[in-house]
Amino acid sequence: MGDLTTQLVEQIQHAYATKTPLSIESGNTKTYLGRQTSGERLDMAGHSGVISYSATELVIRARAGTKISLLQEVLAEQRQRLPFEPPSFAGQASIGGTVAANQTGASRPWFGGVKDSLLGLGLINGYGEAMQFGGQVMKNVAGFDVTRLQSGAMGSLGLITDVSIKVLPEFKAGHTLTFEMNADAALAAMLRWANLSLPITGMSHLQGLLYVRLQGGQSAVASASEFLGGELLELKAAEEFWQAVKEGRVLLPQQGQTLWRWSGASDTPHSALPEVAFINWAGAERWLLQDNSTSVLDGLTQYRGGDRLAEVYGAIDAPQKALRQRIKYAFDPHGILNVGRLYSWM
Amino acid sequence: MPNSPNPSVSHLDQASTGGDTVALISALRQLLPAASVIISTESQRPFECDGLAVYQQLPLVTVIPETIDQVQAILRLCHLHRVPLVPRGAGTGLCAGAMPHAEGLLLVMTRLNRILEINQETCTARVQPGVRNLALTEAAAPFGLYYAPDPSSQIACTLGGNVAENSGGVHCLKYGLTVNNLLQVTMVTIEGQLMTLGGGGLDEPGMDLLSLMVGSEGLLGVVVEAKVKLLPRAPRVQVLLAAYDSVTAAGDAVADLIGQGIIPAGLEMMDHLAIRAAEDFVKVGYPTDAQALLICELDGTDAEVEEQLALVTECFKKHGAGHIRIAKDAAEAAALWQGRKAAFPAVGRISPDYYCMDGTIPRSQVGHVLTRISQLSELYGLRVANVFHAGDGNLHPLILFDASIDGELERAELLGGDILTLCVDVGGTITGEHGVGLEKMPQMPYQFGDAELAQFRRLKAAFDSDDLLNPGKAIPTLKYCQEYRSLQHG
Repeated sequence: MGDLTTQLVEQIQHAYATKTPLSIESGNTKTYLGRQTSGERLDMAGHSGVISYSATELVIRARAGTKISLLQEVLAEQRQRLPFEPPSFAGQASIGGTVAANQTGASRPWFGGVKDSLLGLGLINGYGEAMQFGGQVMKNVAGFDVTRLQSGAMGSLGLITDVSIKVLPEFKAGHTLTFEMNADAALAAMLRWANLSLPITGMSHLQGLLYVRLQGGQSAVASASEFLGGELLELKAAEEFWQAVKEGRVLLPQQGQTLWRWSGASDTPHSALPEVAFINWAGAERWLLQDNSTSVLDGLTQYRGGDRLAEVYGAIDAPQKALRQRIKYAFDPHGILNVGRLYSWM
Repeated sequence: MPNSPNPSVSHLDQASTGGDTVALISALRQLLPAASVIISTESQRPFECDGLAVYQQLPLVTVIPETIDQVQAILRLCHLHRVPLVPRGAGTGLCAGAMPHAEGLLLVMTRLNRILEINQETCTARVQPGVRNLALTEAAAPFGLYYAPDPSSQIACTLGGNVAENSGGVHCLKYGLTVNNLLQVTMVTIEGQLMTLGGGGLDEPGMDLLSLMVGSEGLLGVVVEAKVKLLPRAPRVQVLLAAYDSVTAAGDAVADLIGQGIIPAGLEMMDHLAIRAAEDFVKVGYPTDAQALLICELDGTDAEVEEQLALVTECFKKHGAGHIRIAKDAAEAAALWQGRKAAFPAVGRISPDYYCMDGTIPRSQVGHVLTRISQLSELYGLRVANVFHAGDGNLHPLILFDASIDGELERAELLGGDILTLCVDVGGTITGEHGVGLEKMPQMPYQFGDAELAQFRRLKAAFDSDDLLNPGKAIPTLKYCQEYRSLQHG
């Protein structure tokens, strides 16, 4: 635990001067994501620790190498939580990597993604300059939103050194209901129930079962539960299910298979995509397994498995590609930070 | 074209003597219907400023396109001839972000004002940028839905402008700002190219360009379509009011409430001067002897609201609320809100002019900052009324002045600058929701260092390398920062 900013700045300045590609790493829990890269290892694990936390301000600020599990412990003492329900991968995942990879849990449609809780961050760009964007306050529109731009950028625009995150109170009550139905019926039910101001924090469909998680105040959860009906899922089974959902391992590709992820409008018919095996986010996220021999699926992300040197995030048209390359250049002119992790061309 | 050999000669003068301006106007007339190209001084006068009227400038020419094709053609033309371009919606902004450029085009987007789709199933809407914020909520009402960000100007302000400024409002404490309620935008780049950002689902893989566009103040592209989230109307809404004999006590009540994990739909504070001005104006029965007033809105199911109401009332009493009024019905709730929503015009009635600030601070600093503002108010000899989004620490000090008195405007601006740097000093920001525009340029080098500002400029160049989109706003140049710092230290 400590502040390694000076060393990190030096390492990046040296890499800038010598044009040496760097590969950012911390808990090493996300190597399956994005494209395979090579580069000198830049280890963030030691750059960790909570910098400040004020329960009444609903803000926690921590160094990027801080484990998600540590943040959850600190917050739990004040009965608070990270709103975007990130996976902790057996306690190894760091907050910096989570932000860079934009990893959120089942509550995404109701409590937002990483960007919705992200208030500010420290960033070292490809010149080796340490900078601060955003802040610790709830509303801030000074300057471009460089903070949120980093979520999903996979470290390609800078090394995240610290993050400030808006936190929320823990739920007072919660449980999971299951309903036997096929995917078409489940999609229709998800759309219908999402419209009703119910305290829903998860709606997923797997193998003929619709899972609905309710979380909130006692009375709201109880009355919603009565209204919806269904079967109450045993607590331990429910926890295991939602953990597998947030860790993206409900479906695991076997040798020779690829796990594909689709993100889009929740009213997209089930038939619009081939062989969806798992529906998440009330229909806005869908998952399927395919043999590697099958052709690339347009508009889907090659999430896990398959050829990791391919364009795993799919094809992008020429103007969009050029814009992203110019943005990469604006942050990292020598192309040293996680080069090729997001796309082969930046 | 913008490089006039003699800066004191405007391009309109050049136009009368021929030159490039004539060619530009004639090219615009070929692209657009005659009524969409405005060049006379008289007709352009209504466009010379936004909601911050102390900054005024006539543009070279004003264009009001009706189609996306026309917007693309206008941008292509500007790009080709290197003409500066300022996009604007209804002009309700409060930071001179939409003030025209003397040598450029003013691009008015209000005629692209169609709601393209309201999807009840997915709770989303697709809109053109000129749709008014309140018009969307009204159109969504028959479906039991509404659009959550509700800036005070919602009756007039447009959604395109809301995207450019990342607008908030009284309900963003619980439901977020524009950035939290936006799923996709289609924009026109300075090259005139259409580009869609955000996948239309919840998250697009890769860097979050959609969020970057939000709050970019028209410097990166021109939004021509947006897909936004709509929320189902809560079954019950409950408004209550609590009066305090000090702003510190009211501030403590707010911090305690949020700290307990109660996030109301809205939580607003007004100080004594603002309470009196509002009550004189709308007469809704605010206690005019109170030093501070909290207006709190709770929403949810009946059971949730009852549960929260009990906790909120207890918390307000614990911090010494002298008077708590719980609205009995929708009409009374609307009345309690009316005073808050009319606070700006109400203050306008007690002073010839007022200047609205927009700093955001940590909630724990509210008491300290308000005390310091009142000291500054005495020092400068100008009254300050405070109205603010207490729940998220977003202050709107209203500095009262009289522009007809020599030096008062300058004093008001200095006082405003001091308030903003005070916000930065306590760990806050110079702008929570109004944007930087032209107005807060002097405070940008106070909030950001050279490296951050240079990064902003490189990012701007990635979208608009010739600096044609809303130039001179939001992001100061290196030269500007150097001059600012030498003045501060000189």
